[in-house]
Amino acid sequence: MSEGRYLRPQRLDEAVDALKGGGWNLVAGGTDHYPARVVEQRPEDILDLTGLTDLRGIGEFPDHFRIGALTRWTDLIEAPLPGWFDGLKQAAREVGGVQIQNRGTIAGNLCNASPAADGVPALLSLDASVELASAGGVRILPLADFILGNRKTARRPHELMTAILTPKPARPARARFLKLGARRYLVISIVMVAGLLEVEEGRVAGARLAVGSCSAGAQRLPALEAALTGQPADAGLAMLATPEHLAGLSPIDDIRADAGYRRDAALILVRRCLADLGGLR
Amino acid sequence: MTSHIKMDERVERDRLAEMVQAVIGKPLDRPEGALKVSGAAPYAMDRLPANACHGVLVRATVSNGTLRDMDVDAVQALPGIRAIIADDRLLRNPAQGMAGEAPIQGPKDIAYFGQPIALVVAETFEQARHGAQALKLRFEADGTAIVAPDDPKADIETPEDEQDSTGDLDAAMQTARHTVDAHYTTPGHVSAAMEPHASIAEWNGDRLTLYGSYQMLRFNRAELADALGIEEKQVRILAPYVGGGFGSKLGIGPEAVAAALAAKALGVPVAVAMSRQQVFESVMRRSETDQHIRLAADEQGRLIGIGHEALVSNLPGEEFSEPVTQATPFLYQGDHRVIGHRIARVHRTCAGSVRAPGEAVGLTALEIALDELAAASGIDPVKLRLINIPQKDPSQDIPFSSHMLAEALEEGAKRFDWDRRRSEPGAVRDGEWLIGMGMASAARVNMLIESKARVTLNANGTGTVETDMTDIGTGTYTVLSQIAGEMLGLPMDSVETLLGDTAYPPASGSGGSFGAASNGTAVLLACEEIRQQLCERLDCDMQGLTLKDGHAIVGNRRIALPEILDGSRLVGEGHVEPGKAEETVRQATYGSYFAEVAVNAITGETRLRRMLGVFAAGRILNPKTARSQCLGGMTFGIGMALTEELIHDPRDGHIVNRDFAEYHLPVNADVPQIDVVLLDERDAWANPLQAKGIGELGICGAAASIVNAIYNATGIRIRDLPATLDKIIDGLQSRTD
Ligand SMILES: Cc1cc2nc3c(=O)[nH]c(=O)nc-3n(C[C@H](O)[C@H](O)[C@H](O)COP(=O)(O)OP(=O)(O)OC[C@H]3O[C@@H](n4cnc5c(N)ncnc54)[C@H](O)[C@@H]3O)c2cc1C
Repeated sequence: MSEGRYLRPQRLDEAVDALKGGGWNLVAGGTDHYPARVVEQRPEDILDLTGLTDLRGIGEFPDHFRIGALTRWTDLIEAPLPGWFDGLKQAAREVGGVQIQNRGTIAGNLCNASPAADGVPALLSLDASVELASAGGVRILPLADFILGNRKTARRPHELMTAILTPKPARPARARFLKLGARRYLVISIVMVAGLLEVEEGRVAGARLAVGSCSAGAQRLPALEAALTGQPADAGLAMLATPEHLAGLSPIDDIRADAGYRRDAALILVRRCLADLGGLR
Repeated sequence: MTSHIKMDERVERDRLAEMVQAVIGKPLDRPEGALKVSGAAPYAMDRLPANACHGVLVRATVSNGTLRDMDVDAVQALPGIRAIIADDRLLRNPAQGMAGEAPIQGPKDIAYFGQPIALVVAETFEQARHGAQALKLRFEADGTAIVAPDDPKADIETPEDEQDSTGDLDAAMQTARHTVDAHYTTPGHVSAAMEPHASIAEWNGDRLTLYGSYQMLRFNRAELADALGIEEKQVRILAPYVGGGFGSKLGIGPEAVAAALAAKALGVPVAVAMSRQQVFESVMRRSETDQHIRLAADEQGRLIGIGHEALVSNLPGEEFSEPVTQATPFLYQGDHRVIGHRIARVHRTCAGSVRAPGEAVGLTALEIALDELAAASGIDPVKLRLINIPQKDPSQDIPFSSHMLAEALEEGAKRFDWDRRRSEPGAVRDGEWLIGMGMASAARVNMLIESKARVTLNANGTGTVETDMTDIGTGTYTVLSQIAGEMLGLPMDSVETLLGDTAYPPASGSGGSFGAASNGTAVLLACEEIRQQLCERLDCDMQGLTLKDGHAIVGNRRIALPEILDGSRLVGEGHVEPGKAEETVRQATYGSYFAEVAVNAITGETRLRRMLGVFAAGRILNPKTARSQCLGGMTFGIGMALTEELIHDPRDGHIVNRDFAEYHLPVNADVPQIDVVLLDERDAWANPLQAKGIGELGICGAAASIVNAIYNATGIRIRDLPATLDKIIDGLQSRTD
């Protein structure tokens, strides 16, 4: 029985070089990695990413922000960022408790691709892309194309995520994140909703909404986004959301809630989110 | 010398009231608090000897059947593996509280999914865990296992001595002006003590020392000795610090016996700590309950009949069953009464005591039913309870020892501004939120358990208390020092209390709320003995002796204790036993809960806004530690009302949510400001301290006040706990449909 290999590269080129052979399990904050191994541990080859310190931090560029793959939730919460990051920051504060936020990375949340990952809807509403590096080079994928389903991503075995890229909105924008769970805090989401509105001259110039925990992966709501565009940006936006706009969701029954409740609650959270966003100045 | 009392009658003299040190009844801090918050207090696993091996328990993965075979050789070949213990003495499940003998033993007959069936021992914890997971097992499953109490094929026992009936309840229900006839269900719960169960066993020849995490050492010692087939005197258990128990550490557990067997086999100390998942699976759960409650009342709301019939469950062969109806016979009046108790034998994890077995869930259902009666009759819920307080125990026709339910109800109503409550449901709205108030009575039987303690007045004038009593986070160290300090006239820093070691005199242990009162009485008696000896030295009588600040005052003389002791020390032992007082009077503690909730009219989430508990438990020895107990109990009540629920797989009964991510305890953000008021009371029937138990009172009915507040907020009556958002939204939607 193999004991498993362990590698902790200090530089990205070492990491991608090692990955060429494939077969590695990557670990960043470990907050998804370890809970998945409480009941059973098997020998495995671990590539520990924590030595790649260059990948930690948030940088501003002319048309986007770059969130390094090892950036932790607490780093994000504490970073001075424009108001349209507020939704992502609200999500960050709801990822586990403070200890988890101090360890867990945003990239880990995306790569783990849980249907209940709180980072995904918020980043979908920011129209984020992810950067994947391998010995062959770098490719950039829209987040929506990266997450393929429940714990399924487009990451190839020899790739690692190096950054998350969020484009700057063309117009003034506001953002929100709402989460519903069986208790007030420290809970896995039953439903969560993230929204971003671009507002020009009192009207919605662009809208992006995403719902999580109601499908294998979080979903944008394109029909609702279209219906919102051009409408006066006030709390009345809430009532524009209809059950049909959520028809693309496919919630399941589990021990946290049943599908019917999830569908109802998703609509309500979408409406709350819109009422909030519309009501903001 | 031993001072002894058997509680056959009232104790007229209030000894503590005669003392002048003025430490009793003060909200003093725990002396060991700093050790605990700085990590310096050694809990069981902190005692790990350098040469210890580690054991990890292996669990059954069928719910009923036989272990045929395991692939020992393959695991033995792994690095670091020292032994695989599959001894017939391994425990099927922990001993029930106060059993004093081993529970069912033998790892081959599987009775539930998760049952420990072997221990893999290795040099490191990781090696042992790896071995335990790699061990291939072959079971012969009995496919017919019944895993749910409502399975029509479940074997249901109806023990004759647990059924009771007086008058004619059916007829009373026919003729009554107002009635309630409903079923209430509560799910299984776990104790969720912070410190997982752990034991380190070390043998010296044929003598065993066990560092464990246990509540009742004198019983645990007997249970461990019996399980191993050795004499009690060969066993010493130490548990000076215990990270919470709530019933889960009452009886000796599988990890202790396994550690002892392995340590014996290998000749080195062996440590066995359970993972959180193992704690869920192989420690006690509180049984789920199905309760049929019938209430019959006259025009004015006076109860003429009460029926309370419960169905609970446990494993085949277990004697314990959740005493759901324990407080029902004496809480309210009514001539026509039915008590019913049935036990379904199911292959789920073992059911046992979880904080306030009986009243925690039984009173909760009864108090929801009372609220339904209040709604049906249009009588205010507080008033309904007040007019139904009996003059004496209506089932046994004996007086109450003391009874402060009425005061608790009235005081609570006043402090909570109950008169601002709108009685019609759904009347108060705050944006999306519906606001409601609810209340419930609290009651818990009071018990006294045989207990001993030794107190030494040292030559330097300090005092030492020794007993095998435990402090499971409750404040035992503090209150025993306070009692000794008060009785011997010593400031707190001159008294040391030593606990949690079976080398000391055997105590009641911590359980059933009886610890402080039972063991505190033993300490008081031991101090009386010392006072007697001091009188002999000073040639005065007991009345003439005053002890204060390390001095004796006799007549006009004030003498420092070391001077009197003159290089010697005085030792006194105290011994208390329960007696006829238990049958002569009905002893219980009482209280009231008031809760205000906001229920989201759209998503159905309940947010508790404020909560008040008013309690009477005889003399309050330390209002700070007592208040903490009540806060903890009420927080358990919040969990019971809103979030906590064990979920079993319908196929094999295994616990699906066996960690704190999915077994939803209330977190800080779920717990609002809770206020606790402790009423002044003395109960001379209880014990010479005139104190009663308070550790569990705070949970007995607490959840009902929240569920009743949800009704007041929304008009939705939740009878199937917990009141999760999806159940409430169903009600909200069907009301608007
Ligand atoms: C108590 C607790 C509470 C939690 N609560 C929440 C919650 O409320 N909401 C929520 O969304 N999540 C929650 N989580 C899950 C977890 O904390 C988050 O998903 C976190 O963001 C994961 O980041 P990590 O760095 O710890 O990931 P890791 O565990 O290190 O990795 C997770 C996965 O991503 C892969 N991975 C990590 N980094 C990279 C990379 N750079 N490139 C490629 N693959 C990579 C790993 O191989 C692994 O498969 C909770 C976890 C715990 C233990």
